[in-house]
Amino acid sequence: MILSGWEAVFFWVFSIAAIFAGLLTVMARNTIHSALFLISALVSVAALFILLHAEFIAGVQILVYVGGVMVLFLFVIMLVNVGSEERGSEEIFNRPRQVIASVIFCGLLVAALIAALNQGYAGLYKRDQPKIEAAVDENRIRDRNLARSATGSSRITSDTQRMGGSLYRYGSLPFEIASVLLLVAIIGSVMLARTLKQEAAVDDVDPGVLQEEAAHEPELAKVQPESLA
Amino acid sequence: MFNFFNPAIALLFQEMTQGRLAVAWEKAQHPDLSKFLTIGALLFIIGVAGVLTRRNIIVIFMSIELILNAANLNFIAMSRYLQDTGNVNAVAGQIFAVFVIVVAAAEAAIGLGIVIALYRNKETIWIDEIDILKW
Repeated sequence: MILSGWEAVFFWVFSIAAIFAGLLTVMARNTIHSALFLISALVSVAALFILLHAEFIAGVQILVYVGGVMVLFLFVIMLVNVGSEERGSEEIFNRPRQVIASVIFCGLLVAALIAALNQGYAGLYKRDQPKIEAAVDENRIRDRNLARSATGSSRITSDTQRMGGSLYRYGSLPFEIASVLLLVAIIGSVMLARTLKQEAAVDDVDPGVLQEEAAHEPELAKVQPESLA
Repeated sequence: MFNFFNPAIALLFQEMTQGRLAVAWEKAQHPDLSKFLTIGALLFIIGVAGVLTRRNIIVIFMSIELILNAANLNFIAMSRYLQDTGNVNAVAGQIFAVFVIVVAAAEAAIGLGIVIALYRNKETIWIDEIDILKW
């Protein structure tokens, strides 16, 4: 896999955008700004996915992350009160000593990772060099021969088709398990986010706890469980 | 005067055209697998630094999303590399990325539910004030 020409330009644009957006996510004072920077980082990574011939994953990334998860994040940020952070009266980072220690260790880790990556890839390249270099021309010819779409502005690839076939051939059981995981997540988050009043309304609280809480919150005593009412 | 500096200029010119700079420029024009993995590593480290240094629990969750995305980038870059080197089941990396996205969505839903419950009970989102589990 060697990119060249415009692909290389797009690679550098989107990778630098992803890294800067990621840095700003971590460093922004306002939590809303953090979330918006994270959205731009995710979109840049989605563009890198398209560059890697994973168009379906790029679409899923934008739909699920940007359209679903980040909207959820923004809702929660607006539900909790972060005014003190925006006004600058609260420190946004941990104590200076912790920050310095973690930044030093992260720097060491990234230096070691990148050195190991480059060394490992050099060995891999030495082993696979003929295949990698042959694939450059093969890909160029295959891309040129792809059928045009009806509007003529784009070309039709079979990447998503191959991925779907492979997903249902080799991963159908994990796929089903993932659906159960999502169901558990939905039920779990509903259970976690309920208030005591809502719990009392469906008769889901220990009577002793309910009496104790009702002592200093008189409204709670008035709540009648729906099944008894 | 020019003759005096000539060797140095020649050396600089040689370094520019055949030296490390030229090699780096040549490599930058043709990004390969290692470049993608490097970007993934940098995103991962930014996420780890965010988890370790920030006090806001919501920003920590967002950093975790960044870490998972860096892992996805690695999976897909490797998948593309294996496609090019003629591996039989090369799209397995993309399939794994789908499951990573599913798990990340479930994790975000549960985590934000916990944040809401926590904020309702403790009135805080600063992690150094959330110490109920400490004995």
